[in-house]
Amino acid sequence: MLRAGLRSLTSTSPLNKPDLNTARTYEQLKAGVSIKMRMGCILKIIVASPSKKGLLVRARGLASEVNEAEFELSDCPIHKLDSGPAKKAVLTRDDGLHFYRQMQVIRRMENAASTMYKSKVIRGFCHLYSGQEACAIGMQAAIHKDDSIITAYRCHAWTYIRGIPVADILSELAAPCMLMYEVNDVKYDLSEKLKGEGRKNGCSKGKGGSMHMYGHEYYGGNGIVGAQVPLGGGIALAHKYRDNGQICVTLYGDGAANQGQVFETYNMAKLWDLPVIFVCENNGYGMGTSVERAAATTEYHTRGDYIPGIKVDGMDILTVREATRFAADFTRSGKGPILMELTTYRYYGHSMSDPGTSYRSRDEVQSIRKTRDPIMSLREKLLDSGLADTDDIKRIEKEAKEEVDAAVKVAQAGPEPALDDLFLDVYADDNMEGHKIRGCDNWIRQATN
Amino acid sequence: MAAQGWLRTMQVSMNYIWRTANIRGPSCIKAKVLCIQECRRTFITSIVRQAVPTTQILMPALSPTMEEGTIVKWVKKEGEAIAPGDMLCEIETDKATIAMDSDEEGILAKIIVPEGTKNVKVNQLIALMVEEGEDITQVEVPLDTDVVTNPAETTDHSSHSHTDPKESVLMSPAVRILLETYRLNPRLIPATGPKGRLLKGDVLRYVAQEGKPFTKPGEAEVTTKTAMPTTMPPLVTPLQPDKSETTEAKPVAPKPQSASRGTEYTDLPNSNMRRTIAKRLSESKANIPHTYASTNCVMDSLIQFRKGLSVKVSMNDFIIKAAAISLKQVPEMNVVWNGKEAELSGQVDISVAVATEAGLITPIVKTADSLAVAEISSTLKDLASRAREGKLKPQEFQGGSFTISNLGMYGITEFSAVINPPQACILAIGGTRLLFNADEKIQSIMTATLSCDRRMVDDELAARWLEAFKSNIEKPSRLLL
Repeated sequence: MLRAGLRSLTSTSPLNKPDLNTARTYEQLKAGVSIKMRMGCILKIIVASPSKKGLLVRARGLASEVNEAEFELSDCPIHKLDSGPAKKAVLTRDDGLHFYRQMQVIRRMENAASTMYKSKVIRGFCHLYSGQEACAIGMQAAIHKDDSIITAYRCHAWTYIRGIPVADILSELAAPCMLMYEVNDVKYDLSEKLKGEGRKNGCSKGKGGSMHMYGHEYYGGNGIVGAQVPLGGGIALAHKYRDNGQICVTLYGDGAANQGQVFETYNMAKLWDLPVIFVCENNGYGMGTSVERAAATTEYHTRGDYIPGIKVDGMDILTVREATRFAADFTRSGKGPILMELTTYRYYGHSMSDPGTSYRSRDEVQSIRKTRDPIMSLREKLLDSGLADTDDIKRIEKEAKEEVDAAVKVAQAGPEPALDDLFLDVYADDNMEGHKIRGCDNWIRQATN
Repeated sequence: MAAQGWLRTMQVSMNYIWRTANIRGPSCIKAKVLCIQECRRTFITSIVRQAVPTTQILMPALSPTMEEGTIVKWVKKEGEAIAPGDMLCEIETDKATIAMDSDEEGILAKIIVPEGTKNVKVNQLIALMVEEGEDITQVEVPLDTDVVTNPAETTDHSSHSHTDPKESVLMSPAVRILLETYRLNPRLIPATGPKGRLLKGDVLRYVAQEGKPFTKPGEAEVTTKTAMPTTMPPLVTPLQPDKSETTEAKPVAPKPQSASRGTEYTDLPNSNMRRTIAKRLSESKANIPHTYASTNCVMDSLIQFRKGLSVKVSMNDFIIKAAAISLKQVPEMNVVWNGKEAELSGQVDISVAVATEAGLITPIVKTADSLAVAEISSTLKDLASRAREGKLKPQEFQGGSFTISNLGMYGITEFSAVINPPQACILAIGGTRLLFNADEKIQSIMTATLSCDRRMVDDELAARWLEAFKSNIEKPSRLLL
């Protein structure tokens, strides 16, 4: 309401017309972007207004500061729906900078993970999110903080977005240097067995590794392809049962989308009208197989058949946000499940053991990096619309780099989990006082708390 | 342990930075602080020298088992701009040749390890990158690349209790004397005793493995005493002189697995010939459908015949002749595989397996069918002696249409041989032995086993050829033709 009012104010403001501003707007109009400038006189109202994401608009000294801009969104094909998500969206300066910072941190975190992997600091499973940043951040921006998320093994970015610090994530990834212990003069080396698990200060205490990280209403990465989909249906069932108004966003890849359990979940979810958004993050390749070679139809948003669907440009954060907002409203209102396909791309291989160039050309990857990169496109939006200047961008990039570099240090210096930790966290409750469980042979018995 | 190792590395790098900063004079305290901040900020990948911040590119582990690799080719040149995702170089790992991509953007400032370099260790500094706009001529290569040794790797080593320089090594006086005699560093030797005690056997095994020469006391008082940590007992010297300060943290001793395995083994480096044999014969056995056929030949008449000869010829020469004549009689057997189909060989060239120190080699008796047995004998003698000296010319052992491998002199009853591609057949000759025949008469029997490439030679054809061979060898008069 307030925003609508502001916009009408803006458009009628005579200050909106100076030559400089018109020229700038013209440039953006050419680029398919319409922007609304707000002048100093209105600045106060914005500052006083309650900010949506709890972030205060920073009142900067300049009168010609742009605080919000409206962008046209990519087209979203729909399936079994009367109307799709909004065609235009307003981006505030704070949201824009916040998104940009999150994207930068995730990109750098994944790069750091790649570097650490190649130095053998990280071992075992490791799937990187570079290229898909707009999906996770865009979705999170449109749901409530109590809404549930469950995703597959490519989960570092979601873990970060759900509030886990980068240092905890990288610590979880950094494999223990050496885990050796001695029983009756016999040496056991667990380092091979625990390959891929992390340091004690990791977000899963060093026992989860790359695919098993959790947070508030975040049911984690899941190592088994597609298995999180029925789990997500279950979480949504819990929300409906408790009638708490929460929804569950259940993510899976284009590879998992061909699995039977996904369709079983569709069926139950629709039958019971569960508050769930199924999200197919389609990055074009299920491991090394392109979607065209794997799926009878690559229109993943239609594959729920009786479940309505939207196909969304997953490389544009605003489109993702608006589509998710639409989907969340849809399912929260009790209309049952909805399916979202996010078309996106991953720059790295499927996992660290895949160089990622044997089933797609290097040129393809580079052309996507140059033309569709989500970070680059957000930066262009911010700069073109005047929501941010190059100083802002540089500052954010520097901060993100510092944050990740510091986290790398923490991860490499972190203590290894003690051997006895193996027996902890077996039961959810603390009331298992004195209960002992057996180790891998009958002579090892250890308390679980 | 991890923290300790990390701290130690940090300390080294700090010292290094201070040292370089000091050289530039006392006026740059600000620069020092900057240096340290920079160092702290980008601990792993960047260090600062001469105010040009560089990103270090380390040798990546591109396969989980890779310890070292070869830089096959640098795709980017010094001074070239790099975008994220660009290929920097091609690296040959233990498994394959894989491209190394860059995650960062910037300019490739300096290639430190040139292309073609083999055995580059993982995490070794291979190149330097700077951000766009920096002057690449200002980039200096860090003298001591170990400044950024990976903390995890360091702790990896030091977590073996017996190699931790901070602890003293437990040992008996006998071991101590042994170490003094050989002038060895006890920390370089994997200790297998209880609680990391160094045993005499460990030292002896180490000496045997490393081939340490016995050094007279007082002879090898090299400068390395300063390199030893202060807590070390005074009996040590040794070490490769080229690795100075950092050696203490990096034991060059054989890997601990060999000690825990309990058995000793030696790796024999492949000779070129061995490598070729390995490659060709695995190809052969894997790709050629081998089929086998054996026949027993009665050798009595040949033995009698040979006894009556004035010239000295071996049984082997007769066998070559018999095989050559049989190939003439059954020309379909005299074929080679040209990659797509069988190709009839114009002449009968018989390769004969000759054992040399380096391995088996097969010099060729050309047009064996038209040579007299005595000629075959002299040709083969000459070829075999030159083969043992390694003086065969390539055309004398490459080619041939049929191979004979004879182990008769070793008393082998029979064996089957692997086909020598592109040939179709190899005949394996066993030793002559005495057997009763159906009439309870004693006969000298020799078993010949033919291995055939089933793509070209049917079993029926092989049987026909063996029949011809059998009748030829059993009737020596035929061999004189």
